[in-house]
Amino acid sequence: MSRAEGRSRATLAALAVVWLAVLCIGPAIGSQDVSLTDLFSEDSATRTIIWRLRMPRVLLGLLAGGALAIGGVAFQTLFRNPLAEPYTLGLASGAALGAVVVQHLELAGSAAGFPLVSVASFAGAVLVGLLILGLARGRGGIETSTLLLAGIAVSLSCSAFILFIQYLADFTRTFRMVRWMMGGLAVVGYREVVWVGLWTAAGFTALFLLRRDLDQLLTGEELASSRGVDLDRLRLLVLAAVSGMVGALVAVAGPIGFVGLVVPHILRRWIGHHHLALLPASLLGGGAFLALCDLAARRVLAPMELPVGILTALLGGPFFLWLLLSRRRRRG
Amino acid sequence: MTEVLVAARDLGLSYGRRSVLGPLDLEIAAGESVAIVGPNGAGKTTFLKLLCGVLQASSGRLEWRGMDFRQLGRRDLARRVAYVPQVRPASVPLTIRQVVLLGRHPHFEALQLAPRPSDHRAVSRAIERAGLAGLENRNLDRLSGGERQAVFIAAALAQESELLVLDEPTTHLDPAHRLRVASLIERLRSSPRSDTEAPGHTLVLASHDLDLAAHVADRVIALKAGRVLATGTPKEVLSPELLTEVFEAPFKVSRAGTRARAMLDFEAGWGEP
Repeated sequence: MSRAEGRSRATLAALAVVWLAVLCIGPAIGSQDVSLTDLFSEDSATRTIIWRLRMPRVLLGLLAGGALAIGGVAFQTLFRNPLAEPYTLGLASGAALGAVVVQHLELAGSAAGFPLVSVASFAGAVLVGLLILGLARGRGGIETSTLLLAGIAVSLSCSAFILFIQYLADFTRTFRMVRWMMGGLAVVGYREVVWVGLWTAAGFTALFLLRRDLDQLLTGEELASSRGVDLDRLRLLVLAAVSGMVGALVAVAGPIGFVGLVVPHILRRWIGHHHLALLPASLLGGGAFLALCDLAARRVLAPMELPVGILTALLGGPFFLWLLLSRRRRRG
Repeated sequence: MTEVLVAARDLGLSYGRRSVLGPLDLEIAAGESVAIVGPNGAGKTTFLKLLCGVLQASSGRLEWRGMDFRQLGRRDLARRVAYVPQVRPASVPLTIRQVVLLGRHPHFEALQLAPRPSDHRAVSRAIERAGLAGLENRNLDRLSGGERQAVFIAAALAQESELLVLDEPTTHLDPAHRLRVASLIERLRSSPRSDTEAPGHTLVLASHDLDLAAHVADRVIALKAGRVLATGTPKEVLSPELLTEVFEAPFKVSRAGTRARAMLDFEAGWGEP
């Protein structure tokens, strides 16, 4: 076992411990403190708080953060661009547009037990995925650079539409839209947890099976292709896996930025770029990161709760500046 | 009579109405070393990319020992043909050993988590053959251009393919590294390529480096505007008349023993047409 392998294993083990710790301790933390022993207490109010309110929220954070992080890993490798994440490609903007349209038209109802806002935002993410795939499909297959540019263009268009709709909407509706777009893990039940969990499991399985093809992209598309990687199939599968995951979680939690950028970056520096270790590490690390951010968001302004999307963005912006500056310094 | 390893039959590639290569008919014998020369845009790189499956022919076909390339799966082809492209990524955050291990890709099984002992053996041998022993854990980004070229050749060697395709292996290298890569390529022909198989590689390389072509090739193919203009031994093809016709520039050729040495004739200058 080489030193790098040992480091990867130790990191994976440490992340698994942190993940489990967040899962166990998270539900005890909130605006009203309860101790661990209360988990099985006879007091029904405490039990409701822990099992009905906090547990699903912690679980959703663990799953959604993981999904965002592995989506980021896959996109950064696919586009060989450190700034690529599910949101750069417009998947989240598409989801947000779907949600905003439904909110504006005040369409009520549900499908398969999910509110229409969730259904619309899921559809928005998947449609944007299909759209940019269609735009990037040229004569010689799908081109990565076109895919990236198409994603950015579609993302900007969606944002413009959202602003347009918000301008048309009245004050209450606009407020609801803006609040939704801040992203948050509040008010969830186990149905949403299962929903996001299933998509995350499917997405992770797909990406993990593609890990060797993703590794090949580290030395460029041409070499990958000459070694038997079907690039078109790879791009299609990665986009499908990530669209599904992101669509599902944005539908439930709204857009939460920067997790897909920050977590993969740190882990790449620490354990390297091999997807065999990077994907599971990101799943655990991203989940723990988002769940911890959510815990912090519930505490900093207590008894008020800060939407976790705001907190991740507040942390993510400076982090990226630091990354940029440290890179420039290294180049001298 | 030597066995034909790869044959191009009426091979062509065109984008829409614009033809970039062919129709091309040629054969490459097992164990042979072929250099492809020609001006920019002649179709050298296109031909190499067709050989290693990066591009698909739009007309005609390529055959591997008589079998159509299209009957081979991508992985099957990758176990037979390894490629060292001209354009290599600027920044690769991996060590030499990790980069060379990537060359084992077509040999991995779907459910295999870690490389097998046979993979590690192939990687170690490739690193040794490429003259990189002892540098395995060096980061690729810290290497010079010539060393990087040797790493990508080693990755291709780890693929344990019979045919090795190299695009401009010595371009952008200083004289010392050019010599190093040239003698590395020459060694590849004779040293065994795996545990089990005895003969060395069959080589196809494209280059503007006519010295390299004359030195390592049994046969030189001159391409111009997507077609074969001439084919023959280095001595036959590297003649002033032929080279002038191929490159549309004046050449002088000096002969030292059996080897021909072609030089651009700077004294003649680039005359007005």
